[in-house]
Amino acid sequence: MLEAKNLTKRFGATAALDSINLRVDPGEMYCLLGANGAGKTTLINVFLNFLVPDGGEARINGLDVTRHGIETKRLVAYIPEQVMLYGVLTGLENLSYFAELATGRKSPDDELVALLSDVGLDRTASSRRVSTYSKGMRQKVGIAIAMAKKARALLLDEPTSGLDPKAASEFSDLLRRAREDGVAILTTTHDLFHAKQTGTHIGIMKRGSLVANFSSETLSHTDLEALYLQHMQA
Amino acid sequence: MLRTLLLVARQEARLLLADRTLWIISALFVAIVGYGLFNGVKQAALKETALASVLQAQMRGEQTRRALLGRILHEGALPDPFANPADPSVMGGGYGGRYAYMPISPLAPLAFGQSDIRPDYYKVTNRSKINFLYDTEIENPWNLLSGHFDLSFVIVYLFPLLIFALSYNFLSAEREHGTLKMLLSQGIALPHLVAGKIAVRAAVLLAWAVIVPLVAVTILRPEARSAEYLGPLASWCAFVVAYAAIWFALAFTVNALGRSSATNALILIGAWIVCVLILPVVLNVVVSVASPVPSRTELATRTRLVTGEALTRYATLLSTDYQYVDNPELSRPQNGRIAIAGRMRGSYLMERDVDEQLEGLLDAFNRQLAGQQQLISRYGAISPAIVAYEGLTAVAGTGVRRHLQFQRQIDEFHRRWCTFFDPKIQEGIAISEADLDSMPAFVSNEEDRSVMRTSVVTGLLQLLVPAIALALFGGWRLRRYSVV
Repeated sequence: MLEAKNLTKRFGATAALDSINLRVDPGEMYCLLGANGAGKTTLINVFLNFLVPDGGEARINGLDVTRHGIETKRLVAYIPEQVMLYGVLTGLENLSYFAELATGRKSPDDELVALLSDVGLDRTASSRRVSTYSKGMRQKVGIAIAMAKKARALLLDEPTSGLDPKAASEFSDLLRRAREDGVAILTTTHDLFHAKQTGTHIGIMKRGSLVANFSSETLSHTDLEALYLQHMQA
Repeated sequence: MLRTLLLVARQEARLLLADRTLWIISALFVAIVGYGLFNGVKQAALKETALASVLQAQMRGEQTRRALLGRILHEGALPDPFANPADPSVMGGGYGGRYAYMPISPLAPLAFGQSDIRPDYYKVTNRSKINFLYDTEIENPWNLLSGHFDLSFVIVYLFPLLIFALSYNFLSAEREHGTLKMLLSQGIALPHLVAGKIAVRAAVLLAWAVIVPLVAVTILRPEARSAEYLGPLASWCAFVVAYAAIWFALAFTVNALGRSSATNALILIGAWIVCVLILPVVLNVVVSVASPVPSRTELATRTRLVTGEALTRYATLLSTDYQYVDNPELSRPQNGRIAIAGRMRGSYLMERDVDEQLEGLLDAFNRQLAGQQQLISRYGAISPAIVAYEGLTAVAGTGVRRHLQFQRQIDEFHRRWCTFFDPKIQEGIAISEADLDSMPAFVSNEEDRSVMRTSVVTGLLQLLVPAIALALFGGWRLRRYSVV
């Protein structure tokens, strides 16, 4: 579903992505670990066609994102570290707008309220202005947008960063449900525990290169931590 | 695409309404448009009242003079030497002079234009035209400096600022707030998003800028609804839309450059200062240097000199004992002849000489003024403010060209007036009742419609071509717009 082939992106002399190869199939969740500046967000931006690669290709459902920018974006949902919404509108109004933009049709309010309820925002919360929302609540609206869009792939850029443990756990549950529904998920994170808990595959990026790529079942928490530190210190 | 555009526009309207920006800008805009219109309507009404009073007074005066002439000729009434309708020197002067006037256009409330510094009517007599056509400016100097608060001022000066207030950050703010990535990740094309955002802003501002004045003018000035004024009304709307298009295109291009909102605001305000304030002044200076008019001081000094020489030349006539006051019987016409008082004849000759001797200077003055206007028409395109102002005032009937044409008509009428009275004054021929019917009357002629059409099309092109060029450049930059 999500596939990077020899993906390269340079900013001047610096290689932000250096021949990255990875694949995320439906029902899989690929967690990308790495220090700040390793190229994780750049990879997400290339998949979203916000950055044009200098080499290789990124494909979503077999379509090259550079040549089919609009079509591929319709297939994925993007949830950044901070889901930025319109503060003067309610959660429901935000969801309604983004869902209509994504699907091209206006969804009935009841349907949208049910979606918000599914992600943990009750009717009272969904009728409040987003400016009053916590970060966790905004992340939930982001998930609701992805669900409304019926996206077959999720691109998440450090989605649990800054969330309190309860909110992070709720968010992880939502991702797990999405994965079980056959959604392919590519997420970047600094949270090794979260990666091990929710991911089916884990990759470690360093200076634009994917230096490790393995199934999460093959390593324990301790092994993952040791491997990560080993790569970071090398 | 249309569906996305409408969706974005609807959402933009909702956002602008929700954060009160649209309410505030709309309220402010409606207030200043309303005030500008109010001033325009008031000014036009004042001018119409004044013109109607003047023409009514002229009609009453002519009836009175005709009746008086009848009594003098047929009933032997004794004439008053200073108000003798049989005396050509009196009738050709202030007593019998006729008004030349420029009809007030029904669209005049849309723009003061030149009407606040150039009168719409003049009383034409056999005195030198220097006395009425080039007399001193009595307008409040602060008004001349700052201009009047009319609708054209609102459109030319303030409208761009309101466009900027709504548009300076329509894209940069989305990027700064992080919503742009959220929006574009839904699979919407950036140009569609931009088009929707601009469309709603343009629709709101143009609704206030075009519809409010149109409704007000067609209600308050019913004659503006006639087929004759459909073209000028449509042209006025087209100028407002084309002028707005330039500023929207600029706001779009500046946003497409991908700078911060603060930088966008600075660039746009800078562009406004250059285009609306600096370039018109620079063009004015360049035009004054390239086609200088003789100074008013020089004209006044020369007038005094020529008048002084004429006074000396006709001193004998002017100092004639004014016996007609004590003996009005001498002013009675006999057998079609009348004794013209030496003082009156001397005054007329003096004024005629002043006109003849100033002819060259006044011609040069007018030639240079026309030259300046030509230069402004040719090079005014460097500033959209100049093009818009010229266009808005021209279609409102208060532009420079119409006033200059009016002035040429007055000049011609003055010549006909003097030619009519000159032989009578020189040869002492009394004014008859038939003469009252054949005295020159002023008929206002509007300029050829094709000339107006050409100037409207030229003006619109001068606004639309740069607007399209800017939009194309903005579109090219938008393709390279960096979302991250």
